[in-house]
Amino acid sequence: MRPTDLVEQPGEWLRGTGALSDIVISTRIRLARNIAGYPFVTRLKPPQQAKLSQLLCQVIVDEGTVPECHYFDLKVASAIDRRLLVERHLISKEHEEAEGERGVAVQATEAVSIMVNEEDHLRIQVLHSGFELETVWQAASQIDTAIGERVPYAYSERLGFLTACPTNVGTGLRASVMLHLPALEMTKHIEKVFLAVAKINLAVRGLYGEGTQAFGNFYQVSNQVTLGRSEEQIVREVAAIIPEVVENERRAREVILEKSRQQVEDRVWRAYGMLRHARTISSSEAIALLSHLRLGVHLGIIAEPNIEAINQLFVRTLPAHLQVLVGRELDATTRDVARATYIRRCLGENGGS
Amino acid sequence: MSQIVCPCGKKLATIHVTEIINGEKKEIHLCEDCAKKKKLMFPVTNPVVDLGEVLGSIIQAAGEAGSDELQATACPECGITFGEFRSGGRFGCPNDYEVFRRGVDPLLERIHGTAEHRRKRAASLAPASGKSHDDRLAELRAELRKAVSEEAYERAARIRDQIYALKKGKDHEAD
Repeated sequence: MRPTDLVEQPGEWLRGTGALSDIVISTRIRLARNIAGYPFVTRLKPPQQAKLSQLLCQVIVDEGTVPECHYFDLKVASAIDRRLLVERHLISKEHEEAEGERGVAVQATEAVSIMVNEEDHLRIQVLHSGFELETVWQAASQIDTAIGERVPYAYSERLGFLTACPTNVGTGLRASVMLHLPALEMTKHIEKVFLAVAKINLAVRGLYGEGTQAFGNFYQVSNQVTLGRSEEQIVREVAAIIPEVVENERRAREVILEKSRQQVEDRVWRAYGMLRHARTISSSEAIALLSHLRLGVHLGIIAEPNIEAINQLFVRTLPAHLQVLVGRELDATTRDVARATYIRRCLGENGGS
Repeated sequence: MSQIVCPCGKKLATIHVTEIINGEKKEIHLCEDCAKKKKLMFPVTNPVVDLGEVLGSIIQAAGEAGSDELQATACPECGITFGEFRSGGRFGCPNDYEVFRRGVDPLLERIHGTAEHRRKRAASLAPASGKSHDDRLAELRAELRKAVSEEAYERAARIRDQIYALKKGKDHEAD
């Protein structure tokens, strides 16, 4: 199996299902773990790192500790394969760009991915469509326990799970929820939401994690504090704010429909028109237009295409996906042409009139 | 529009920038690589918290508080010094948390508001001792959420301080 085989499958978090899925795209929990008796990744010597990668791959995949997993060796993977995994949210940008023995174990449905020798020896990630924090936490905890029974984790009574970066120590847990907030952005209320979230010590980030900016009106809300409170407490704190953000977005959607229906309709239909007829389109423009289209479907302005099809387009029009779908490497200019062609084909076939 | 080649001569220009300086208009056409080098790509439109940057400044500040002796202290297990940790932001091995405890604990206080782990799953299994205390915390949190949703940030800040105070009191009890 190669990462390119994933392109055709929908991917768990792109299903567009689950609670509050008109606004919540996905829920993710990640647990940072290190193996006792080894230095952290930056201080591993190459042979040691190779040995540890092998050991962890064996425990997780070969021994079936996490069922139905496939291990991708990132040291030998091509640049496009690695980018593809980033675009599918299965590995981080740092893991893509690093060197040395490292990899990722991916479960068949893509709901589970376990990065080996990223910043920490293990980064266990569970990712579901919609607002499903409790389910996702239970799944992550189970995997964590199963692996922890086979390899001893670096753990201290005083500080909990020990991690390479002090921002993750304690629980090693990051719970994040990705939201689509176009109406809050249009009504210029998004800053207030940032402020409210920051006040309770949670962070807001862009689509692809730390340091990335928000585009297409997608935002991630996650906890910053990992020490001094239990996993359940952290999960509860993140879970508590989400329905409020969702409620604010819903209200903003009502307001724009009431006060500026014409402008919103115009924006949605223009986006649809551009997507269906443009001859060249950049990745960021595609995301912005798809974001309007997605809003249009949820506001009942436009009936087709369905949400899952739009979600798929968000990912399949990203550079690596597009190149795999087209079947060859493309530079930025030819990629923009291929992207427009691909979108036209998808919307022409599934998009009705 | 006809296709324009980037000044580097290697690729077609796909980024087009119009600069107006002192009323004089100038158009620049660059390929993606050159635009990236000139940092013209992806203008930041939304303020998003950059955790890496924030962390860097916190670690720097914590390090300055430490003595020269602490800066030069090396971990007997992995060999990293506290000074190296300070500049890199990553520990070398699990042992570092103990070796550099004097410098790390204040850092953890700043990041997490505490330097002590509240036990993992045991917490959910064990019956909550001092339940009224937990109830009060839950109440305050609900009030906090309400204040935030009403955008009453001053009230929210006061409630947050109460929560901190309550939690601190509890930590001492536990000791």
